[in-house]
Formats: sequence, C-alpha cells, structure tokens
Amino acid sequence: MKLWSRTRSALRNLLWKNRAESELESELRAYVDLVADEKIANGTSRAEARRTALAEFGGMEQVKQTVRDQRAGTRFDIIARDIRYALRQLLRNPGFTVTVVATLALSIGANTAIFSIVNALAIKNLPYPHPERMGTVFERVTGPDPNDERRWIDGTEWEQLRDNVPSLISAITGGVSGGVNLEAGPHVQYTLGGRVSAHYFDVLGLHPALGRSFNEEEDLPGGPKAVVLSYNLWKTIFSADRNLIGQTIHLKREPYSVIGVLPQGAITPLNADLYTALQPSRSGEGTGTNYEVIVRLRDGANWQQADGELKRAWAARAKQIESRDPGTKVEYYLMPFQKGVTSVLRPRAYALMLASGFILLIACANLAGLTLVRMVRRTPEVATRLALGASRWQVQRQLWIENLLLAGIGGLAGVAVGFAALRALLSLLPKDYLPVDSVPLDLPVLAFTFVLSTLTSILFGMLPTLTVRKVDLRSSIASRALAGGAHVGLRQALIAGEVALTVVLLAGAGLLVRSLIHLETLPPGFNANGVMTAKASLDDARYRDPAAFRHLIENSVAAMQQIPGVKSAAVGLTLPFERALNGGVMLHDGPQSGKWVGADMVYATPGYFETLQMPLIAGRTFTAADGPNTQAVAVINLSFAHKFFPGMNPVGLTVDKGLLVVGVVSDVQLSSGMNRVAPLQSEETLYFPAAQMNAQSLSVHVWFQPSWIVRTAAPVDGLTELMQRALAGIDPALPFSGFYRMSDLEAETLATQRIQVALLGTMAGLALLLSAIGIFALVANMVAQRTREIGIRMALGSTIRQAMIQIAAVGLRASVVGLVTGLALSAAALRVMRSLLYGVGVYDATTIAVVVAMLLLIITAATMLPTLRIASIDPATTLRDE
Amino acid sequence: MTFDTSRRTLVQIVDRSPQVKPKPTNLLQGTLDLLILKALATGALHGLGVSRRIEQITRGTFVVKPGSLFPALHRMEEAGWLESFWGDSENNRRAKFYALTKAGKNQLEVESEQWETIALAMTNALKAT
Repeated sequence: MKLWSRTRSALRNLLWKNRAESELESELRAYVDLVADEKIANGTSRAEARRTALAEFGGMEQVKQTVRDQRAGTRFDIIARDIRYALRQLLRNPGFTVTVVATLALSIGANTAIFSIVNALAIKNLPYPHPERMGTVFERVTGPDPNDERRWIDGTEWEQLRDNVPSLISAITGGVSGGVNLEAGPHVQYTLGGRVSAHYFDVLGLHPALGRSFNEEEDLPGGPKAVVLSYNLWKTIFSADRNLIGQTIHLKREPYSVIGVLPQGAITPLNADLYTALQPSRSGEGTGTNYEVIVRLRDGANWQQADGELKRAWAARAKQIESRDPGTKVEYYLMPFQKGVTSVLRPRAYALMLASGFILLIACANLAGLTLVRMVRRTPEVATRLALGASRWQVQRQLWIENLLLAGIGGLAGVAVGFAALRALLSLLPKDYLPVDSVPLDLPVLAFTFVLSTLTSILFGMLPTLTVRKVDLRSSIASRALAGGAHVGLRQALIAGEVALTVVLLAGAGLLVRSLIHLETLPPGFNANGVMTAKASLDDARYRDPAAFRHLIENSVAAMQQIPGVKSAAVGLTLPFERALNGGVMLHDGPQSGKWVGADMVYATPGYFETLQMPLIAGRTFTAADGPNTQAVAVINLSFAHKFFPGMNPVGLTVDKGLLVVGVVSDVQLSSGMNRVAPLQSEETLYFPAAQMNAQSLSVHVWFQPSWIVRTAAPVDGLTELMQRALAGIDPALPFSGFYRMSDLEAETLATQRIQVALLGTMAGLALLLSAIGIFALVANMVAQRTREIGIRMALGSTIRQAMIQIAAVGLRASVVGLVTGLALSAAALRVMRSLLYGVGVYDATTIAVVVAMLLLIITAATMLPTLRIASIDPATTLRDE
Repeated sequence: MTFDTSRRTLVQIVDRSPQVKPKPTNLLQGTLDLLILKALATGALHGLGVSRRIEQITRGTFVVKPGSLFPALHRMEEAGWLESFWGDSENNRRAKFYALTKAGKNQLEVESEQWETIALAMTNALKAT
C-alpha cells in the first residue's frame, strides 16, 4: 500500500511536475491568506496582516524546497542530473573514455568468446541423459613403456566385459563411421554408417522415435540384417515415411530391414546417417583391438563396484601383457565419458584458458592504472567542489555514478563484442570440428569477466575518492602538479606485471606458430599440387570377391586416364595426410628376422606412386604384371627400410614369408594412428599391389574407403563430373563421397594446430595492444602532470632531449622489468605447452629473440610517442600559466 | 548533517534532514506525525487548521511552523496515510484539506500505542532514584 502510494506519487511528481508545483503554490498562498484573515478578524489592518503573515511564514521558497525534497521521486531528478554531468565529463575526455570502454569490451568480450569455445572443446555438457553415469575404459601401463589412455578392445575382452561386469550396460562400436552405399529408388547414395552393438542406444540413453533398437539376436555374427536410421536420413531420403519400419532397404547391395528411426536432433559420438549391428566376435576384426567401448552405470550400481568387476573380468588379459613385457604393470579402470573423450583436447584447452586468464589480468591492470590516474588528476576539481559547498556525499555520489556509467557502457560493449567474437571464431573453425552442435556464449564466464573487469575499474576509480577526506583544500587547488605523484610507483608495478604476462603469451603463441610452420614445411614426400581425390565405399556385397574388385579398379582407372588433360590416375586404400591401416608382418630377413612388427599397410594400383609423384629410391614400383597369380610383391618406404633393414639393400629381401620387396619409396606425411607423437609424421609403411588383395584382406573396406586419385597438368573443366562418369561407366551404382583437392587434405589435418595458432595469436596480440596502451597512458600522463616542471627545467637550460629521456625512463624502466620477469615466468609457464609443440622445444632461442625484439619495439614506441609532446612545451607559456 | 538550533523548534530541525528515513520508531519525527494524525482524527482540516488544532490539543506547547508542517503533510500523503482535496474554508477561501485514510487511522493507533509505551518508560526512568 505504502509502496504503491509512493510509486504513484513519484510518477505523478515526475510526469506532472508543473501541476504539482502550481498546486503547492496555491496551497501555501491559501495558508498565508488564512493566517492574514485571522489577523484581520483580530483587528489588524489588511496590509499589516498580510505582511506579518508572510513574515511569520518564514520564506516561501525555502518551505517549497523543503516540500520538494520530501517528494517521492526527487532522487531520480538528482540522479538524472548526475548522469548528465557524468556523461559530459566522459565526453570531455574522449581518449580516456574510449580506452577504458575498449579495454573493458575486449577483455570481457574476447575472453568470454574464447572461453566458450574452450568449454565446448572440453564438452561441458554431453547431450545425453545423466552423462555423469556414462564412462569409457582406460588402460594404465606402468613400467618401462608407460602409457595411460583410452583402451580399444578385441572380441575376447568384449565378451568378458559384456558377460562379467553386471554393474554396467556396455556397448562397443566400430570406432568411426564408414561410407555405406544406400540404394534409394533409382539412385545410390554415399552415406555414413555406424556399426554398433546391441545396447549402444541404451548406453547413450536414446530411444528410437519410431520402432526399436537392435536386439541381441541381430547383434550375433550372421544374425538378421537390420538398420536404424537417423532422423535426417529418414526425412530426406525416405520422406519421413512412418510405414518404413519393418520394410526392407538395400545397403551395400544387401537387404536390411528397417527396425527404427532415431529421434530428431539425436546425437551419437559416431554421428552417422544410419546404424547397423556390429555383430562382434572373437574372429575377424575381433582378433584385434578394433572395438571402442562406451558404458553406462546401471541403476543402483556405483563406479567402485564396476571398477572391481572390470579388473576381475580382465585380470587374465592384464597378466598376459605383464608376462609378455616383464616389469610392466597393467591396470584397467573406468573413466567418466566426458573426461575420457576429451583427454586429448585437455592440454590444449588448459593452455588457452591460462592465456585467457592472463588477458583478463592484463586488462584489469590497465583499467586500474587508467582509472586511478584519472581520479587522481581530478583531485583539484573535487577540492574545488568541496570548497564551493558540495557535501562529501554529493561529490562521492557523482564519482560513483561516473564510474558505474563507464563500467556499464564498457560492460555492454563487452557483451556485444563477445557475441561478435564468438561468431567470428566459430566461422574460423572447420565444420564438425567441435563435438557439439552449437556453442552458446558461456553465461557464467560472461558474468565472471563482466563483474571482475567492471569491479576493477570501479574500485580503482573510487580509490582516490574514498580517501577524499584527506584532501587539503588549499594545497589541492593551488598545486596541480602535486596530485598523483605518489601513485607512479603503483602504476609502474602494474605496467611491469602486464608486460610480464604479455611476454608469456607472446612466447606461447610464438612456439605454436613455430610448430605450425614446422608441420607445414615438413617435406610431404610427394607432390600434392594438381591431384584430385574422391572416395567410394567398397563395403559392398559385390566387391567382396577379389576378381570383381580388380575389374572395378582396373577399368575405372583406365577410364579416368582417358579423360583429356589427365596425366595419370590410380586407386589407393589411403592417401598421404590420412590415417593408414595399422597392420603387422613377420620379418623374414634382416636383423629382426622372425619378429612380428607393426607397419602401415596400403594397397595401390600401378600408377599410385607416379600420380602422387612419390620419389622411387630403389627397385621398381608396381606394374600391371603384378597380378593375383604372380609373385606376391611389396614396396616399402624409407622408414621401413631404415628400421628393419638397416644398411641393407631391401630390394630382393622378403618380409612375411614369400612377400618379396621390389622397391623402396620415400616417406610421406601421415596422420598417424600407430604411435601418435605429432599430427603429421611418417611411419613404416608397406605397399601392396591392389590386384594381389585376397578376399580376406578386402574386409578392410569396412573401415576404409579407397581413394581414386587423378593428376592433371593444368586445371581441367568439369574434372569431377568426368571422374564420376568414368566410374559410372564401369559401375553406375557406385557413388563417390565427394571430391577433395589433395592440398585441402593437408589443411584439414592441421586444422587443430591452425586454430590454436589463431586463438593464441589473437590473445597475444590483444595482450600486446593492452600493454602498449598501458605504457602509453602512463608516460602520456607523466608528461601532462609534469609540464610545468619540464618548463622550468627547460627555462633553466635543460634540453628537450634530456627532458624526453627523463620522462620516458619511467615507462621504460617498468617495461624492461616486466620483460625480464616475463622471460623468467615463461620458463615455468610454457612447460604446460610441451605436448602441443612439434619440431620446437619449450626453450626456443628464435622465438625468445623474436618476442624480445617485438616487445622492445612496442615498448619504445609506446614510451617515446607521448614524450614527443615535450618538444612543443614552451617554457614561457608554461610558467605564465600558473 | 548540521544542526542549526538557533531559530527553529525541535520538530522543525528533524524535518530538515532528508537522509533520516521516516521510521515509526524515530521518536522526534514520530512526534510531529503523531500530532498531525491525532489532529486529523476528528475530521478533515486544511494546513492552518492542522496547525491550530495541534496548538489547541497540546495547549500551546507545540507551534508547528509551515516549514515543518507542509513537508510533513506531503510526506504523509505520499505515504498513503492522508488524502487531500480542495475545498472551501470557513471564510470561503479555497484551501487544500487533509483527511485520514484507512491506513492513516491504523497508523494513528500504532503510533499512539508506541508513544504511550515510550512515554511510560521515560516517565518511570526519570522518576527512578
């Protein structure tokens, strides 16, 4: 009631100010008249009565003002006046205002955007119900060859996990989605198929929108062929036909019955268009560790229970490894899914978060310095206002409003920059790079950076006013030069801190740039220019027969060679820059004879090495004569030769009993699968003639889709259509997945590194900019404050040069201290980045030299530029000015 | 806050201070409010009427000057205790009249009780030996 009444009055007072005023006027007039009437009634004369009534009233205007001050809403009036005044103040100092607002905007906006992406990289929120109950299996190996990573399992381990760990619902997948040819009407479509075990969707907590998921019978080897469709595929290819459930569609040229459709927007780690049953077993792919595990804790069970069961279930396996490699200890344990899948990304995320924190600190130091100085410079103004009768509260309120206004504007700009920066950063990322659909601006982080930055600017802005009590009016007004002298030390410390953090960021970004340059300038071992590639899925019933496979690739390659402008064409299982099939062979010759060794395996048609222009080191490459009924041959790469046949001529030696080495080719850069030490590296590789593949080895097409490659001397118009037509001439029902230039493949492989460089580079640039602003502001302020002193010195014979050096020294000293501190800090901080660096050490002389040179340049510029104003100081004017 | 005690009565001084929020427990401020509420308890009055009525019921102890009276009337109206209307005075002058609202009547009861408690306590305290 009271609140409502006051609000109503406040509104009325604000909106109808004039009416309230005239009413007040009439009311008070009436009072005076009534008093006068009384006096007249008591016998006083009319004029006298009126005069005394007015006199007794005691000042019409004062009474009115007292009433006005009582009115609800008066405060709004005062605050509005203060805000207008504050805005005028801010506009009068555009340099300061713009700098503070820009610093706030960048620190809040850029940081929040970067943090949002880092959070998405670490997949804060998995898109599944109760993600905390999902997990995956890790293997910790201690001993001579320690290791701690996600464990892929074989068929035996799978059966033990499935049958002997009752606390978990377990599922496995084939790891990655592979190309699958889907017949839809007259067309055949290249789709991505995921192979999953029976309870996969239960583990993810997904329930098909239509139909059901796989039952256990369908997951048995040789079980009924069934398929679950993604919502999008169901909608685009099958026009959302609800009667599709139970019907037969053709995949890989085989009939599959549709048993379910996933709900709209459902996401799985495989992200496939359709899902078939994995049908895992101990044989075939189940003999190797080719299954990826994902588990969910059953209701009522806990992780300790599940861990214990897992250790018991796989005890025999652990023993086996421990006895094979003496001194090793193997432990299996469950890892929360979110942590498990992001274990590779985490060091990157941490490095970026650290950098983000640095930026925030630098920005805060800058804000502190800027606002501190501004308020100190305003001490005379404050003193003047106090002297003119303003109360301390009035002065403080004014400053509070000014600081809040500044922080508010900066904060809003920060939010805007945050949205823009996030959008810009996301557009830099390659498609499907992030494991989530969309990245919203992280609100808690936004709130945190917002509060921290604005608080800093308000705090340091208010610091001098909180001590305003001590202001001695006379001295403050009289001696402008005195103000703020004591704060120079604090500002120098802030600048030194900023520069130190900037050094760390610059050095970090520098190391990443060096890594990227190293990776990009690695000799690729082939010529990527002018090569067009396309994949097709041969996981197809018709191509399990080696003769059909040979017919397809030989004729399609021949057809592509006929395309005008094509120099050569070939087919290979995998290409450089891609991940290759990890296999193994028994060495027959060489010092390690009889040992089973791992190597990448690639089948290739005769033109493969020529098309990629991989230099032949020794022997020969494949020819059309290497057929199914001739001597089994292989070409090895240099790494293989050096590792297993050191100092020998490999040509003519045999590996794997009866497999004759006929040639040696140079190494190419691969995206490794075996011993991942860098995003690009070369590995021991064996090449086989595609024509000598037997039926069993063709099963590799479940995982890999071979590539058709074509080299042209010059760009050929419509090359991709001509390639598709050449393939269709042999098999009209075999679609290509899409066409890629070989050079684009490299860019894709290094996308992660490129993004890191972009993100950290941006942050380092931001830090540099902020530091430069800080140094510049410090020195410029010194110049402004000491203009009079400099004038006197110059009048007494000091040169401009001396004056400039003297002032600049204040900034230089702080910056150099920061530079040295920063170098020391880098030595410690940059160790975090060790796992992100390739071909460059943490202590890299070149990087350090470049960073130091760059900073010295910026520091010098930022300190010297403001001192140029000294040259324009005229001693005579300055002295008269006082 | 500056106290200028030379010219004004106690009641006026308190009303000069806008920082002091009106609280029912504020003894001095409450005094004027209570007197105004009491003055209006018998019916609507204009400003001078309130002033004269207070003079009358306190037997001349308190003379409320316009500088205290009008701010208090306006504040109490905005608080919802009083309502105002324009009417004619006994000698046909147009004047603004104030009357108690329902909330005002309640407030009078509450403040009367409080005052009695305080007055009793103070009397006892001062009589104590």
